[in-house]
Amino acid sequence: MRAYAEGLVLALISIVAIWGAWQVPAASPGDTWAGIVPFSASIALLFLSGLLLLSAVRQTAGDTGQEQDNGATLQIIGLFIIALIYQQSFRWFGYLLPTAIAAPIVLYFFGVRSWIGLALSVVLCPLIFHLIFFVLLGVYPPYGEVFDLLSWIQG
Amino acid sequence: MEIFPALLSVITDPSLLFAIVLAAVVGMIVGATPGLTASAAIAMLLPITFYMSPLFALAFLYVIGKSGRYGGSIAAILFNTPGTAASAATQIDGYPLARAGKAGKAMKVATISSVIGDLMGDILLVIGVGFIAAIALKLGPPETFAIYFAAFVVIGSVIGNSIVKGLASALMGILIAMVGLDPISSEERYTFGSFDLSNGIGLVPLMIGVFVLGEVFAQLESRRKATGETQENESTAEGNNLTWEEYKPCLPHAFRGGFIGAGIGVLPGLGSAIAAFISYGEGKRRAKNPEKWGKGALEGVAAPEAANNAVSGPSMAPLLTLGIPGSTIGAILLGVFLIHGIQVGPTLFLTDKELVYKLFACGMLGILAYGLVGYFGATQVARIILRIPTNVLYPLIFLTAFVAAYSARGSMFDVTVMTCAGFAGWLMRKYDFNVAAFVISFVLAKGAEETFRQSLLMSDGGALIFVERPIALAFLVIGAGAIAFRIRGIMKERKIAKGALDDA
Repeated sequence: MRAYAEGLVLALISIVAIWGAWQVPAASPGDTWAGIVPFSASIALLFLSGLLLLSAVRQTAGDTGQEQDNGATLQIIGLFIIALIYQQSFRWFGYLLPTAIAAPIVLYFFGVRSWIGLALSVVLCPLIFHLIFFVLLGVYPPYGEVFDLLSWIQG
Repeated sequence: MEIFPALLSVITDPSLLFAIVLAAVVGMIVGATPGLTASAAIAMLLPITFYMSPLFALAFLYVIGKSGRYGGSIAAILFNTPGTAASAATQIDGYPLARAGKAGKAMKVATISSVIGDLMGDILLVIGVGFIAAIALKLGPPETFAIYFAAFVVIGSVIGNSIVKGLASALMGILIAMVGLDPISSEERYTFGSFDLSNGIGLVPLMIGVFVLGEVFAQLESRRKATGETQENESTAEGNNLTWEEYKPCLPHAFRGGFIGAGIGVLPGLGSAIAAFISYGEGKRRAKNPEKWGKGALEGVAAPEAANNAVSGPSMAPLLTLGIPGSTIGAILLGVFLIHGIQVGPTLFLTDKELVYKLFACGMLGILAYGLVGYFGATQVARIILRIPTNVLYPLIFLTAFVAAYSARGSMFDVTVMTCAGFAGWLMRKYDFNVAAFVISFVLAKGAEETFRQSLLMSDGGALIFVERPIALAFLVIGAGAIAFRIRGIMKERKIAKGALDDA
């Protein structure tokens, strides 16, 4: 089942890639087509996905593949969703506020259960990262379009 | 002989010396921490190097890479957990020695052998790199493309368990690199009308995502499977000291390992794990006491350690002379060169020769630095690692990945790319795709495309140009040969496995 899924996903990616390469306009006279490499690579990928599907067909029916740890996968998907929300919230609320919220959540995810530790992370994580990257290295911090804690603190 | 003035220049620069020693310690700790890799550390530190001089940045990251390879042996010997894939061979004899109360002795053998192997690799690099660069200058676009092609195929097919998945990973890396404006015609490719995508996918966020965030996801998964706590094996007073009589039989293994590692290091994609296992196998075959190997032979530590560290220097040869990184660390270093506006390739030895030799000098001093720190303080480093609370460490790495990806260009799109690359990197690891082939192909793709299209223009559109030129043809044959060789190896393994099953 897993081998079929891998082959099908790869085939889907290659079909999208072929379609994308096909959208590249034709070359002007005396030039080479800008889509030649992406097109060739996606055709090769489609061929490899075919090989994966073929090997999936050849696998014996009794071979059910590796045992899956669904709990771990769900946890990782959960952390990925947190990551997506965290990076998106930079645009809305700047760096400090999302980091103050994300730090204890991620620590909790990794098994930290000390309430004092989690509470400290709310203050220390944004503070330390802000000092290292935005003060010492001089990077301009992302500005929150909805509310920016840094602007509010700076008055 | 450019290396001597370069060494003098680096030795007389206190800030550079401090960076080298710091990098040696950081690399050791990172390499020795199970689950943390030197690639992840380098990728995470990459944005910080934007604010450093090119030599400072390159030396710092290069020495972390070298020291990280050596650091893997600490975890392999003391904790029975290889810190890096390359140190898995060291574990075979290192851990039994540690169990017998000889951890200190094994660590000292590993340190001396690593220093010997690494220095051999660097000396061969210094001697050979100029010649390779001179030859590379004479190559035209068809030959260069054929070298790229061979690199793609070797990297895709040799690393990992599956040729198909390895090659698919390489192709996906190429496709991701194609996103954005075509550098020749400025036509949009795979942008789907997005302005952000028209700038292409950045190397730094992609690497931070795949190596750092992807590793955090993988660690979260492995934490559920982990059982018990890691414990250090204590050394007895006698087991801590190494005498010359004890190391003498290890010397031939260290030198042989050094040559094996250096030879493998020049070939893109093979890497230090393969070198270590080949050296271990060859060492055991030639050993006077093969029955002791695997049960705690000091020579069994010396052979793989010398080989896996000897890879480090020569793996820089294809990167510096052809712009082809042979390893993930090489791919990240290529990013540092590009960030600082330095064009890597044969012309590097015409435009920035001084910088290159100073980098080699920093590498050699880095070897001495990790050698000294390791010889006298490896067990202390191990104690530090045991005190690191991983449930705090990985969340901090998670948060650092975001701010590091943002810092590279001050772009929120880069943070999104990093997040998606992290998840994709974890998926690739989980389903046995080849992350190293993916990243290295991403880095190589633009150069390969340019030379491919230049070749087509030279030949008026005919692909026969690659077959008509002997050097180009030779590299194409090497690529095809690598796949054939690998398929033969897999068939052989399957036959043996099937035979064993039938016997059972």
